[in-house]
Amino acid sequence: MGEKLVEAMESHKMFTMNLFGLKIPVSDVIVSMWVVMAVMIIFAIILTRKLTSVPNKKQNVAETIVEFINNMVKDAIGPHHWKAFAPYLGTIMLFLIFANTISIFNVIPGEGFKLRPPTRNINVTVCMALMSICVVIYAGIRYKKFSGWLKSFIEPSPVMLPFNILEYFIKPTSLALRLFGNILGAFIVMELIYMALPIFAPAALSIYFDLFDGILQAYVFMLLSCLYIAEAVE
Amino acid sequence: MTGTGIIAIAAAIAVFTGVGAGVGIGLATGKAVEGIARQPEAAGDIRTVTLLGAALAEATAIYGLVVALVLIFLKM
Repeated sequence: MGEKLVEAMESHKMFTMNLFGLKIPVSDVIVSMWVVMAVMIIFAIILTRKLTSVPNKKQNVAETIVEFINNMVKDAIGPHHWKAFAPYLGTIMLFLIFANTISIFNVIPGEGFKLRPPTRNINVTVCMALMSICVVIYAGIRYKKFSGWLKSFIEPSPVMLPFNILEYFIKPTSLALRLFGNILGAFIVMELIYMALPIFAPAALSIYFDLFDGILQAYVFMLLSCLYIAEAVE
Repeated sequence: MTGTGIIAIAAAIAVFTGVGAGVGIGLATGKAVEGIARQPEAAGDIRTVTLLGAALAEATAIYGLVVALVLIFLKM
């Protein structure tokens, strides 16, 4: 049982890609991220074709999603600077929602490639947290100018300098570890349930562990990025 | 002396961080329910702040889980 669990948690090399003489190993984590990207791109193309000023059915869905994200970002960042960050935050939230809940679409029977959440790998979450902290630094430099951003390190008093520097390391660490730990924890619990009670029980528990937890963590990641940006631009 | 048993006990102790997170989230949710009962029109704001507070309180439990996983899978 332990080996099966470890096998499910680790990433496996699927094939090697040749790129300009470099041999790049491609793992199943990357392949499942490609699946998420493909689904998102197809949805985006279908939903935004033939846009009209009087919305039809498909356009209503797209407009609801965009409105929801815009309102949330506007509430958190404020009415002046929200427009520059809404696309990034919306993309990251939709990507994480799809990525965290992808295991409920794992309908291929048998061994081999399985759709498992790519965010159970710590490299993916660290990368997303680094992206967020880069946006936070960019927001600070853009809206406070470089000198104002440097000055923000010694506010409210120069004694706080080490803590303010440390903040830029703690924020991405906590973002990455929170997402990774939550998704991996829920994933392990679901794998144990699949092993112990393969009939009926996974259907009910998957609603909490896959859907609710995945969407909540995507929302929390986006909300925390929002608050960090709001703190940087004020 | 076998190291495996000691590592398993260490991982179990690391998961004790969950106690703090449970108490913290319980307190936060209790206060949020009180707030919504007293002022139902502020439910939206209270929900956002509660989710955020719960996520931050939960982080300690998640660190415990990560430490336990590192102990089990990298040291055993």
